[in-house]
Amino acid sequence: MPGVLPPPGTPWKARLAHALADTTLQGAISRSTHNLAAQRDAAYAGYARGGELRDAARAAKRASVARLDELLAECTRNVEAHGGYVVRAAGPDEVARYVLDVARRRGARRVVKSKSMATEEVELNARLEAAGLHVRETDLGEYIIQLAHERPSHIIVPAAHKTRGQIREIFDREARSAAAAPPADDSTPALTAFARRQLREAFLAADIGISGGNYLVAETGTLVLITNEGNGRMSTSLPPVHIAVVGVDKVLATWEDLGLVLQQAPLSGTGQRLTTYVSLISGPRREEELDGPEEFHLILLDNARRELLGSEFEDVLTCIRCGACLNVCPVFRTIGGHAYGSIYSGPIGVVLTPLLGGIEHAPELPKSACSLCYACRDACPMTIDLPHHILSLRVMQVRRQIEPASQRFTVALWSHLWASPGGYRRTVRLARLGQRAYLRKGRLGPVPRYLPAPGLLGGWLATRDAPPVARETFHEWWGRHRGRSDGSTGRSTLAPAVPGTDPSALAQAPAGERPAAPAADGATRAPERTERNVP
Amino acid sequence: MPQTPRVQLFVTCMVDLFRPRVGIAAVRLLERRGLAVEFPMAQTCCGQFAFNAGHHKEAAAMGRQLVRAFEQATPGDAAAVADVPVIALSGSCAAMVSHELPDLLERDALDRGAARATAQRWRRRAESLARRVVELSVWLERDVARVNSNPAEGSTAPTATQPGPDTVGPVPVAWHTGCHMRRLLQVTEPPIHVLEAAGAAGHELPDADQCCGFGGTFALSEPELSAAMADTKLQALATPRADGAACLVSADLGCLLQLGGRLQRAGDTYPVLHVAELVDLADQGELTPLGIARAAEARGGEG
Ligand code: SF4
Repeated sequence: MPGVLPPPGTPWKARLAHALADTTLQGAISRSTHNLAAQRDAAYAGYARGGELRDAARAAKRASVARLDELLAECTRNVEAHGGYVVRAAGPDEVARYVLDVARRRGARRVVKSKSMATEEVELNARLEAAGLHVRETDLGEYIIQLAHERPSHIIVPAAHKTRGQIREIFDREARSAAAAPPADDSTPALTAFARRQLREAFLAADIGISGGNYLVAETGTLVLITNEGNGRMSTSLPPVHIAVVGVDKVLATWEDLGLVLQQAPLSGTGQRLTTYVSLISGPRREEELDGPEEFHLILLDNARRELLGSEFEDVLTCIRCGACLNVCPVFRTIGGHAYGSIYSGPIGVVLTPLLGGIEHAPELPKSACSLCYACRDACPMTIDLPHHILSLRVMQVRRQIEPASQRFTVALWSHLWASPGGYRRTVRLARLGQRAYLRKGRLGPVPRYLPAPGLLGGWLATRDAPPVARETFHEWWGRHRGRSDGSTGRSTLAPAVPGTDPSALAQAPAGERPAAPAADGATRAPERTERNVP
Repeated sequence: MPQTPRVQLFVTCMVDLFRPRVGIAAVRLLERRGLAVEFPMAQTCCGQFAFNAGHHKEAAAMGRQLVRAFEQATPGDAAAVADVPVIALSGSCAAMVSHELPDLLERDALDRGAARATAQRWRRRAESLARRVVELSVWLERDVARVNSNPAEGSTAPTATQPGPDTVGPVPVAWHTGCHMRRLLQVTEPPIHVLEAAGAAGHELPDADQCCGFGGTFALSEPELSAAMADTKLQALATPRADGAACLVSADLGCLLQLGGRLQRAGDTYPVLHVAELVDLADQGELTPLGIARAAEARGGEG
């Protein structure tokens, strides 16, 4: 059973066109991804044990995922022993229902949130607002995009697509509607000062604080939050109720594991050895304590995560959402996160979105949003095999016949023909005929409107010129110059290195006229000229 | 056994169809270096485009054909080719063969209901091809002795390592490493010795590790996105161009068709060359602006 993710909204081609037309967005995304990737490289370059510790962290995370159910049970027992409540949520509805129940019981009206992808995944804000609650995001980036009515465009830098100028405009608008003083200018200090002023009020007025969670330590039932702004600490300790929505994949067995894993997200994500704040939360305030909420609720969100256990995709559960794969991805760098139409963008989004939302959810992601450059696999601290997962998802799509029939047919026929030399030669002849209409000065250039080029050729020629299929292919050249009439594949003689001077050039041996060779698996194969693969 | 060392040429479908002169250049340069070049004519394509598009059944059919083709170079004697290098004219196709084919053929055999032993046999056959396959510039670079042509072995071509008195230094060229060459074959540097022996100096582009947007069927099904990625790469190319790079060189024709095709669409005639063409030009003492322009434009019977 797949989980439930927010729908992608507009179609892929429209999202793509939108992103490709927005040069401001492209500039902002390119700058932030380049900076983050460079910071990561610099951090590793100055960290002799970095690689070794990353490998140890990966092993710890994988071992925890392998014992997931057992660790979740242990974690639950321990959180409850501290006086916290733990609930399992299969999907978005269960999360929203539980939070609204708590809000109703407490008579709550105002909610503050620290940054959480899990709550984005279940569209919690919209659901709470629909029930009449007032929700305020308190992470600076989340605050910006909340005011702009957008979704995060990057899993760790939600407003990566915004320039300072744009942020100032958003804040100016907010200042007018809240009757507050606007930011002095578009410098970072002025912008953060404005946000801090506005958010301070929200923290003090809030009835409920909602957070995500980066890790759960099973052996003590501890929730771990890593932030750079300190808003996480405020959201979880000032309001009288703290609700954490945490994916089940976040559980680690021990503090030793946490020690290893803790540093990996900042190291690979932003090039920090550690985030500015690390909050360790073990239940509500106790008798002797001064700070902390009266109630602590832990919602463990599944949303199809546990279905990945034991599958070829199990390592996807080891993702620590560091964002490194986004920062190096050439597609992400070109179009940013929104075009993916999923809150999880970049390579991990391409994989995670269909795994959580179902293979038919945003099928364009595995199919179209990856050029298989393998940069993500090299960047991922957990060495999740993202490219091969994308390939596997494409195979699943082909099996389910999700792509248009015409495309399926083209690739299938093409492949079929090319599986035999005879079929291959046939396509060469066909291509030479077919391309005539598009030849201009010996090249294939822009396609005239009155003569649209078919399918894949049309795709290429839409944005690029191409050489035509050669008048003489290499196969043909070799046959003419080096082929042997004895039927062998032809071995060149050393003497005449210049084409046209080879005395054997006249002895043509068309490909395929060779005797059958015994196959290594025993059977005698027909000669290759048998075009048995050609329909 | 022949006296001269043998190699088999894996030209790739793209070279075969769209730029056969790359294959011809490879034959010449290998022969100049004293090698007996064989071209198993039953080869078609490694199947990567179908593989990357998720059509693994079809990719496996092509992969099996490739395995057979290179086993049969000497009719009836598969053992005879066991140690013969297979020189690939593409880093990406070499990576497909060496990194994906054994798994693919085994899995596909099982999917088709073959016995485990049969599937294993396909894996082993693919593995033996995988062991033999090597991309041209890597193969040349691996043995420095190889990077120069050997006039004693029958070539009359001058070598670029003996520059004439009017030579002013190496010709700067922009070098692009394809993603599969870089991350699957783990070749992260330009082939320095090969370029040096050719009288060239390779300059990498800024952000050299970024994809050019080719990506096989990706370029065909996502033309706008793919072109935007190409444009980023071409902006990066402006740096070595400004520094005087005479052309863009790569070991992957896919990247070159992508970048060259995008340049041409913009009316830019900046030359792009496959590394085989570059070495062949240098062998003939023609690695000059004029020689490069001619080689890049030459239609060699195409069109
Ligand atoms: S897949 Fe890897 S690189 Fe990407 S966010 Fe997850 S852990 Fe980080």
